[in-house]
Amino acid sequence: MSWQAEILTELAARSPGGYEAAGPLASEPTALAALALAGAGRFAAAARCADWLQELQHRDGSLGVMAGQPAPQWPTSLAILAWHQLDRAADASDYSKPIACATKWALDSRGTTTERKQQIGHDTALVGWSWAADTHSWLEPTAFFVLALKAVGQGEHPRTREAMRLLFDRLLPNGGCNYGNTIVLGQPLLPHIQPTGIAMWALGGEEVQDHRIGLSLDYLEQQLSERTATASLCYGLLGLSANCRRPREAESWLEAAYRREQQRGPSCYKLALIALAATPRVARITNDELLTTGR
Amino acid sequence: MEPAPAQNRRFSRRSLLAAGGAAAVGVAAAPLLHEAIGGRASVFIARNQRYDGNLVKTIRDGLLATGIVPAALRGKRVLLKPNLVEPSRQIPHMTTHPAVIVAAAEVFREWGALVQVGEAPGHVRDTEMALDESGVAEALHDGGLTFADLNYEQVGWRRNRGKRSKLAGFFFPRSVLAADYVVSMPKLKTHHWVGVTCSMKNFYGVLPGIKYGWPKNVLHHNGIPQTVVDINASLPRTLAIVDAIDCMEGDGPILGSCKPMGLILVGNCLPAVDATAARVMGLEPSRIEYLAMASPALGPLAEARIEQRGETWQSVASPFQILNEPHLQQLRATPDGPLVT
Repeated sequence: MSWQAEILTELAARSPGGYEAAGPLASEPTALAALALAGAGRFAAAARCADWLQELQHRDGSLGVMAGQPAPQWPTSLAILAWHQLDRAADASDYSKPIACATKWALDSRGTTTERKQQIGHDTALVGWSWAADTHSWLEPTAFFVLALKAVGQGEHPRTREAMRLLFDRLLPNGGCNYGNTIVLGQPLLPHIQPTGIAMWALGGEEVQDHRIGLSLDYLEQQLSERTATASLCYGLLGLSANCRRPREAESWLEAAYRREQQRGPSCYKLALIALAATPRVARITNDELLTTGR
Repeated sequence: MEPAPAQNRRFSRRSLLAAGGAAAVGVAAAPLLHEAIGGRASVFIARNQRYDGNLVKTIRDGLLATGIVPAALRGKRVLLKPNLVEPSRQIPHMTTHPAVIVAAAEVFREWGALVQVGEAPGHVRDTEMALDESGVAEALHDGGLTFADLNYEQVGWRRNRGKRSKLAGFFFPRSVLAADYVVSMPKLKTHHWVGVTCSMKNFYGVLPGIKYGWPKNVLHHNGIPQTVVDINASLPRTLAIVDAIDCMEGDGPILGSCKPMGLILVGNCLPAVDATAARVMGLEPSRIEYLAMASPALGPLAEARIEQRGETWQSVASPFQILNEPHLQQLRATPDGPLVT
């Protein structure tokens, strides 16, 4: 059995799952698992995850971070993406209702804004999505909602377009991005791999003239290696793959990450990320979907 | 600046240890205890410290000198909470040095405690990356220590006992709720919004990102000074062991310059520890908003109420550069302290 098949079998056995091997079941790991399993044709296991997410969905359409924690609701984006991917891969519409309900919630939900301040480099008036209710918009939740909304055909919605402007606005002057601050008190901040990968994934396929995109992809290429921590490696590869710059060594790096995780006692979260990044078709399917619906 | 109290005379290490043992009060930062003992606290400072030195002895001496009773630690769960806010191999003076963490763990283990290290990095979601970049992953492995990723654990709610902010309570990770003692192990740094980040502010990192975000914007929206005090008031018993060997000045807490100080600070009253650290940095503690808000309920700031163990703060003080920003300039103890743009 190839390691790719091995990881899918192990992921299926650990899904729905959590951030830690023995941790509580959580929405983000389970949604990522559904996404990876559906993309690999493991429909029964993917459906188990998708159904669990549906059970967690509130009447307003949102999902909390884990069972028993109805807020915050930032993983709603990932659930939309997972349900959509499963329906699309299985050529079904089993999840059309939860998708519609969650999408409505997403479009009604917004991060807070403030007047622009000289001390802060980014445009604080742009609206994206926040981690928690009644707080500012930050990079990763905004990128996840952009991915979800583009996937379900809302790529031209004004909220999605503004959120994409926000993602561009949060890119650092020399490329890359972090949690979502660019310049504070005149000082440019440091880039990080994971948010850069997620932003590049979300912005994949966009036709824009912004030199920071190329710089961000360069940054990812320079940073990624066999030794890169698992989540950063996987999101970095998803970002590069969405922009047709997947490194030749990607598979060997991912296999190394899988072997490391096996020694640690793998979690659903890490397995799902590796499986997702290891299946270029999944990234491409998502990206193709974005290409056809996102413009 | 407050007048120097009689307690700031230098004492020998031996007499201080004896005094610490005789006056042992266990460990607490609870408001009631501070009121009961007249709002006094002791803070230990050791100088000439190095990361490759005998930090186990220093930390042990510091804990004993500030009233910790080793027997009280037997069988207790101790959670060590370093600062790994946004680790980078290029900026090791941003985060708590692994050697200090391992040394503290050894001391508590010697005393029979069950030790775990935990952190919820505030700016990075990939905790494995944070552990790698900080060098803490390797140290934990070598030291046989377990790590609790506080960003993603199961959480439980506790009432806000500080009541400075409007938050009714906090979601704390399982490992924090299960701990008998939570030990703040910050890196001593300037902070471009609040002036100083030391043991109290470091406890922002016990709250889970999965509930509060990256950054923990829920706290910012409810007031940084207010929520610093509220978190500290709502935790189990706390201690502080400060890595002030290589510190950060200027544009802290991320991008400042390294300022070698060679110090370790220890105490069981976090406002007093942070007030002492601020004095060492050339800042006036009562002008640090969260310290002013924390005192007297959580502990004293005034020199007269803080007994100096080991070195006096005056003997090790060396003003830190701070950014030339109005909200930071006003924190300086003297108007001619160093500024940096």
